[in-house]
Amino acid sequence: MVDREEILKIATLSKLFVSEEELPKLTTDMEQMIAFADTINNAEDASTDFDNINNLCNVLREDEVVPSLDRDKILGNAKDIDDGHFLVKKRA
Amino acid sequence: MKYEMVAGFETHVELSTKTKIFCGCTTQFGGDPNTHCCPICIGLPGTLPKLNRQVVRYAVMAGLATNCTIPEIAKMDRKNYCYPDLPKAYQISQFDMPLCVGGYIPLSNGRKIRLTRIHIEEDAGKLIHRHGDTLVDYNRGGVPLIEIVSEPDIRSIEEAREYVEKLQLIMRYIGVSDCKMQEGSMRCDVNISVREVGSDKLGTRTEIKNMNSINFIAKAMEYEFERQVDILENGGKVIQETLRYDDVTNTTSSMRGKEDANDYRYFRDPDLVTISVSREEVEELRNLLPELPVQKAERYVSELGLSETDAALLTKYRKIAEFYEEASKGTKNPKTAANFIIGQIFRRLDTESDKEAFDIKVSAEDLRELIKLIDDGKIKMNLAKSTLEKMLDTGKKATEFISESDMGGLDEATMISLCEQAVESNPNAVNDYKNGKEKAIKSLVGFVMKNSRGKADAVAAEAKIKELIAKA
Amino acid sequence: MSSRGNIKKLADMLESKKISCTELTQSYIDEIEKSNGELNAYVKKTPEIALDTAKKVDEKISKGEKLSSLEGIPMTLKDNISTDGIETTCCSKILKGYVPIYDATVWDILKKQNAVLLGKTNMDEFAMGSSCETSCFGGAKNPHNINHVAGGSSGGAASAVGGNIAVYGLGSDTGGSIRQPASFCGVVGLKPTYGAVSRYGLIAYASSLDQIGPITTSVEDAAIVFDAISAYDKMDSTSRGRQGAATVDTLNNSIKGMKIGIAKEYIEGVRDDVREAVMNAAKVYESLGAEIVYFDLPVLKYALPVYYILACAEASSNLGRYDGIRYGFKAEHYDDVNDMVKKTRSEGFGDEVKRRILLGTYVLSSGYYDAYYKKAQNLRGTIVNAFKEAFTKCNVILAPTVPMTAFENGNAISDPVETYLTDICTVPVNICGLPAVSVPCGFNAKGMPIGMQLIGDSFSEATILNVAHQYETAVPEAFRASDFGVKL
Repeated sequence: MVDREEILKIATLSKLFVSEEELPKLTTDMEQMIAFADTINNAEDASTDFDNINNLCNVLREDEVVPSLDRDKILGNAKDIDDGHFLVKKRA
Repeated sequence: MKYEMVAGFETHVELSTKTKIFCGCTTQFGGDPNTHCCPICIGLPGTLPKLNRQVVRYAVMAGLATNCTIPEIAKMDRKNYCYPDLPKAYQISQFDMPLCVGGYIPLSNGRKIRLTRIHIEEDAGKLIHRHGDTLVDYNRGGVPLIEIVSEPDIRSIEEAREYVEKLQLIMRYIGVSDCKMQEGSMRCDVNISVREVGSDKLGTRTEIKNMNSINFIAKAMEYEFERQVDILENGGKVIQETLRYDDVTNTTSSMRGKEDANDYRYFRDPDLVTISVSREEVEELRNLLPELPVQKAERYVSELGLSETDAALLTKYRKIAEFYEEASKGTKNPKTAANFIIGQIFRRLDTESDKEAFDIKVSAEDLRELIKLIDDGKIKMNLAKSTLEKMLDTGKKATEFISESDMGGLDEATMISLCEQAVESNPNAVNDYKNGKEKAIKSLVGFVMKNSRGKADAVAAEAKIKELIAKA
Repeated sequence: MSSRGNIKKLADMLESKKISCTELTQSYIDEIEKSNGELNAYVKKTPEIALDTAKKVDEKISKGEKLSSLEGIPMTLKDNISTDGIETTCCSKILKGYVPIYDATVWDILKKQNAVLLGKTNMDEFAMGSSCETSCFGGAKNPHNINHVAGGSSGGAASAVGGNIAVYGLGSDTGGSIRQPASFCGVVGLKPTYGAVSRYGLIAYASSLDQIGPITTSVEDAAIVFDAISAYDKMDSTSRGRQGAATVDTLNNSIKGMKIGIAKEYIEGVRDDVREAVMNAAKVYESLGAEIVYFDLPVLKYALPVYYILACAEASSNLGRYDGIRYGFKAEHYDDVNDMVKKTRSEGFGDEVKRRILLGTYVLSSGYYDAYYKKAQNLRGTIVNAFKEAFTKCNVILAPTVPMTAFENGNAISDPVETYLTDICTVPVNICGLPAVSVPCGFNAKGMPIGMQLIGDSFSEATILNVAHQYETAVPEAFRASDFGVKL
């Protein structure tokens, strides 16, 4: 079963903070969810390969240039920009 | 105790496609920040990747040129990690079903560096750190890369150098990448460990990341080899870690600081479908490959009788090899063209990039015409050499500099007369020669050559002069 | 036929100039103003855009130009479908203020047809939920009883269409998110075959399961909308487009001799009123000359855990990009880049989204990948094969859409796994990429709608819509409208 260390490790990988207050409930929830997920391991060992749903293959585009978008649009949704770049300040 | 180096390379090579791997944005180097971008390559929500056919073809060509096998089926996977230069928080790459597997690069010492695999993936954007702020430019994000992974088969700095140079050479030859290390279109990660000579166990390795110069690679490996040997000799243990090489201090240092242990959680990218390269296409691409430098060099030695050194010099860049083959075509001695190129033309090409660009004023056809004049006995080598210099200066043909009278040999009487003049007008040289200075004869021959405008037979002239001095 | 304003009827009224497109549009805008406070179906209203389009359509009509099938018809888009210049949030704090700079392919298609966009509809945050209550705007309400939820995740679309404040809406269905709210709100919801409708511009929850589809008041409307949006799209590597002729042309085909399958695993464990309604529908089909065949689909018991493993795994990867740098919410205070990213995500995502990201990260992480993700992927193949086998025994499968009717507001069960069980009948279709349509099949004692779904083999939308339409024709009272909205 999952313990708090594992939850914290998974949270770090997921780039999420988990507070001490959240931890007990989250651990219970995760335990239940994982136990539920685990029920698939009751199934006989299935070795049916699954590739993609319609078994598609070689869907490719030609190497032809499509004009890029105006930089104003590219940067338009960013909270902070500087000198044509996306910006993350040292601290805020 | 004696130690040996065990090293393997992961080499990233940017492919020379017109567009990015999953969208139609240009791959041009440079450009104002974030001007080669679209919703797809900045990872806007809802966008989807579409694989560039040319990326697959180039990667397969790279595989074929390095003796890889092309599996029937390949797939694309997501490598999940969060970093500001990676707009989707995953890199689309290939995990367990790459496009190419199991090749090798032969080295001049007879050893083969085995390749584990070659896979395709997208490049990340560029981060600029300014006063502690982080600025992000996604122009490079989504540029197609191949990653060439070698087995830990490299045993020395020399082998490492040759391995990287050969890869560079091959990729340029087949036209899939310009491999400009200084622009970052070829970058190496080196895994390195040491062990006692004679042992077949692998030691703990460190990985030096992201080096973009062959000299840095050599220096970094040298430093890291010695550092590891030092640790072992002092009874310590090498820690497995990722290192950065600092070319200013010539040291390696740990890259810790990405706080999180990596767990890439690879899985098949559900936005992309299976890749299957048909056997027909593999053959088609194989046929597109030019003769590779190693093969060319071997042929130059065995069929054309060049030295291995000359063959290597001539095959290093595709343009030079092509020039050489064209210039020597149908000439009596294939070495003549080789000597002109290596002896005279190379003097005008200072840097490696000059050689690669091979931007000279003389065409291969014009050089061949010049060589034919020698072959037909119409001019002597000395005249040919000085003529080539003029051709290289002006771009004009040989015949512009050689008059009718220059062609055809020198008659016996004129030759004797010139030899007599040489002896008469250079008493100092004659005396020197008489006093045992063998070399003094050269200036007398030079006199004859100069006054016959290079038409005299130097060997015959030398014999005649010696005869005249002996008689005197 | 349905008594409610459907697409053909409205198109006729427009073309015969019984009503102008501007008048039609205005009547919907007025009704939205009146009812949306209660229904909370719309999270973004776009009346100016709607009226602009209506004006264009009126000009075409006045010039006597022919209209295409959806021209001038007022509609909605779920708030996870990207619209150039119109805020698109997935009803998440983390995307508040995000204005796409490109159009989703479905919207591109419809915009070119002068579809009249009334607004963006409410949904569970990032389509994760079954009640619409994980929306950062609060849940949409059920037009048949506003004390009940509209369902989820496309709750806003079902509420708007069920409440007659939109003619049709586009939703998305990853594990039942079109069919379940359609069932709760007494309307029709079509989840097309995976690949039939382009996903380009649909903000991903789980890429291998997501499909866009219509929510409508009648089967015929669902067919018309599906026919319009099911085009091959070069922007989506998994796109196939519709395979075959327009589905609207075969709605009236006889279903005599058709085999309709019932798998007992679908019927077991659903509430009595729901089972009864579905079995009654089976009787209707028998009376129409179809044959009911029964069989077992034992692998169905693994469908739900398989779904949650795969959906969460993909979601954990798809939602990694919300880091505050390029768009959307960004934490106000932070110490460095990594701290900014973590704070942005921790403050921007709701609890259910976080839970699913964590579960997804877990099942993909080293040491667990084989036992969860890989095993689930293999079982996916097994389930696909089981359905293939089932379709050798029948033409369509009849099943309940949800094991129950709409629950009361705020009663969304707090135990996450129990909540997931409401998806038990809908997820197998997504796992297999099959088409399914949910249609109303009666009301329970409290007057809440019950839905049934007709599931077909890949790319057999024409068949399931034909079978659904035959039921609608036979039992029009099952399609009874709510008291809300525009009456024409």
